[in-house]
Amino acid sequence: MGRIVGIDLGTTNSLVAYTDSQTGQPKCISGPYGDTLCPSVVSLDPDGSIIVGEAARRRLLTQPERTIYSVKRLMGRGPADVQGELKLFPFRIDPTSKNVIRVMLGDKIFTPPEISAFILRELKNWAEAFFGETVDRAVITVPAYFDDAQRQATKDAGKIAGLEVLRLVNEPTAAALAYGLHEKQRGKVAVYDLGGGTFDISVLKLISTSDGDIYQVLSTNGDTHLGGDDIDNLLQAFVHELIVQHDEFDFPPHGELVQELRKALIDVKHQLSNTETATLRFKLPSGSVIIHEFTRGALEKLIRPIMDRTMGPVKQALADAQLKPTDIDEVVLVGGTTRTPLIRRTVQEFFDRKPHTELNPDEVVALGAAVQANILDRGVKNMLLLDVTPLSLGIETYGGAVAKIIPRNSTIPASAQELYTTGVDNQTGIDVHVLQGERELAKDCRSLARFTLRVPPAPAGLPRIEVKFLIDANGILQVAAKDLRTGEGHSIEVQPSYGINDSEIERMLEESIEYAEQDFAERQLIEARTESESILAATAKALANPQVAALSAEEGAKIATGVAALKDATAGSDYKLIRKRTDELNHATEHLAELLMNSAVSTALEGRKLAEV
Amino acid sequence: MTSSKTADYFAIFALPRKLWIEMSALEQKFLQLSWKLHPDNFVNAPEQERELSLKRSSELNDAYRTLRDPVARVEYLLGIEGARKEGEHKQQALPELLEEVFELNESLDELRDTRASGGDLAALKLRLESAERNFQEKLGEVDTELQSAAREWDAALDGETAMRNKIKARLNELLNRRSYIRNLVTNVQKELF
Repeated sequence: MGRIVGIDLGTTNSLVAYTDSQTGQPKCISGPYGDTLCPSVVSLDPDGSIIVGEAARRRLLTQPERTIYSVKRLMGRGPADVQGELKLFPFRIDPTSKNVIRVMLGDKIFTPPEISAFILRELKNWAEAFFGETVDRAVITVPAYFDDAQRQATKDAGKIAGLEVLRLVNEPTAAALAYGLHEKQRGKVAVYDLGGGTFDISVLKLISTSDGDIYQVLSTNGDTHLGGDDIDNLLQAFVHELIVQHDEFDFPPHGELVQELRKALIDVKHQLSNTETATLRFKLPSGSVIIHEFTRGALEKLIRPIMDRTMGPVKQALADAQLKPTDIDEVVLVGGTTRTPLIRRTVQEFFDRKPHTELNPDEVVALGAAVQANILDRGVKNMLLLDVTPLSLGIETYGGAVAKIIPRNSTIPASAQELYTTGVDNQTGIDVHVLQGERELAKDCRSLARFTLRVPPAPAGLPRIEVKFLIDANGILQVAAKDLRTGEGHSIEVQPSYGINDSEIERMLEESIEYAEQDFAERQLIEARTESESILAATAKALANPQVAALSAEEGAKIATGVAALKDATAGSDYKLIRKRTDELNHATEHLAELLMNSAVSTALEGRKLAEV
Repeated sequence: MTSSKTADYFAIFALPRKLWIEMSALEQKFLQLSWKLHPDNFVNAPEQERELSLKRSSELNDAYRTLRDPVARVEYLLGIEGARKEGEHKQQALPELLEEVFELNESLDELRDTRASGGDLAALKLRLESAERNFQEKLGEVDTELQSAAREWDAALDGETAMRNKIKARLNELLNRRSYIRNLVTNVQKELF
């Protein structure tokens, strides 16, 4: 068995973390560029290979038609669900999509779980490069308010990426786990989690028992389509209007220009978390430049409605836990969007308590996932997580009404039994429609699945089929039926309303392996060797230059040792060692590089590496 | 799922079939059993054990959810005592409330009509609010009666069958009455907010 990791599959960024077996502390793993954040962006190169992360994010500007971001918003959704979003996001949806959305990158078509799988595979590669071992199992986090279809889609993504998903953990719960370990908190905790695309609020009770610590979620609420993306959309709409007035320029809704503007606006937004004013400078194709100074006040006015939208779920979660704001002992802020001063202020005022922000809000969810991964893997027996289902489970009854059979905020796993019989003689099928949501009518709830119980012809009321609905520890529904007259299991084929079936997942898994880039370590080795060869060549060339005479004997000897050591390393296959020796040689040749430079430019290029001269 | 045979919720907590339950003791027991049964403990176990953990822990959670809620507890008890069949708890109108319910429905109709025509709602709202208070009060009365019937049940736990059946019937009737009034209150609240 390979290694196990915790993964935060975010709307904007994704991260992978593990628990250090020596210290017992969770840590995020860095990618090849040294950053722990992997932008959740996927691009299909014209040569057919898949590019993920920072490199893909840069392609948003140059190849927007082949690049997708914020795919989490499409997970477990049908085409009709996302019509509103398509106006603001440049996603190109395959017009023939039925229950599962299909997105076009260039001329290829992918489902959201396939695209998420590319991101997961990239993180898996990061972790494998870090451990030097395979990674085959993961705990993946999801927004607490994700419904069954969104959870199933996330689990499918894991499978397609070649990972066994041991558990889906709710993001705010993961954050609480990370904080609990860090702060040793006790009592009632509210976790306010506003990320790139989703908002969650969870209320937990931390209990110390003689067996260990229990993290019991009392209630959860949220909005799976509310986050930093919405702030960006508002800013964008605001500036579009400005441009129309200023320039009478009809701004195209898609393409490079929008991506460029979006990036500029996100920079402005980030700046305003630290400064009172920030200036947008944006050049239009006409050549004229939009200059607009934003104040923090103006941004806050724009954000206020989004902030207000989070307060409804906050109040509902407290009411469901039968608590008042002042009953909460600790408040935790999670998600990059909670860096916004307005949000910090408002949350603090509401709970009358300074929120915790000690852990990096971008990393805390991944860290919690790593804690849970460690619990599951090593059977750590001093910590237990009891989570809840965010939405009530119901079945459609007469007249399109919904009978709730598992109420929201029930601790999971949770189950309910329903008895079915026939209404007319010789009826051979009983239709069952399963839904999730709080509304009273089926048409207002989320359809999860439909199935038909097949029964042999008999007088009305004689067949007795018991159906068991079970929500597992991942928050995913399982259905089983039993014929009470024979006592035998009753096979049913559940057609998920928004899911992909198992054979499709199998096919996607195979395709994804084909798409997968070369083995990560191998790629690293090739890159390291290329770099090493270029510096070796540059050094050889420089040493042939008469200027070398100015080097001290000591410097000359250092360079000679460095060259020999790098040649040795390059002959081997340890890319980390090659990188190290490359850096060392770079360092040893700094003076040589300076000497070789024309004195006029040497000041400007100070600190350049030899290979760059 | 291995079997659909469900354990008796009282038995899961090693409790007698009494309606009075000490909440903090129930919670302690719940947490203690959660440590043992939760699927997190069985991730690397054979499939059969994993299935069993899923079944047992879901039953534990179902049991805790039900027994924690005083009304759900009575309903469940009557179910396993054979005094309340599934689907039987259709709300029957209560004769003694007939007049008040009739008035309430008239006021509700009037409110909807006035709202549709954009008229003044203030007076109607006041009338409905007072009706809501009235039914809330009745709900409180039913709850008091339920509590006293529950005490009778607990006292007669080892008593004669005839006596116990009589209490069961009484509890059943009170539950129906409660559900009927509860529904009225919900309907008024829906129109008022």
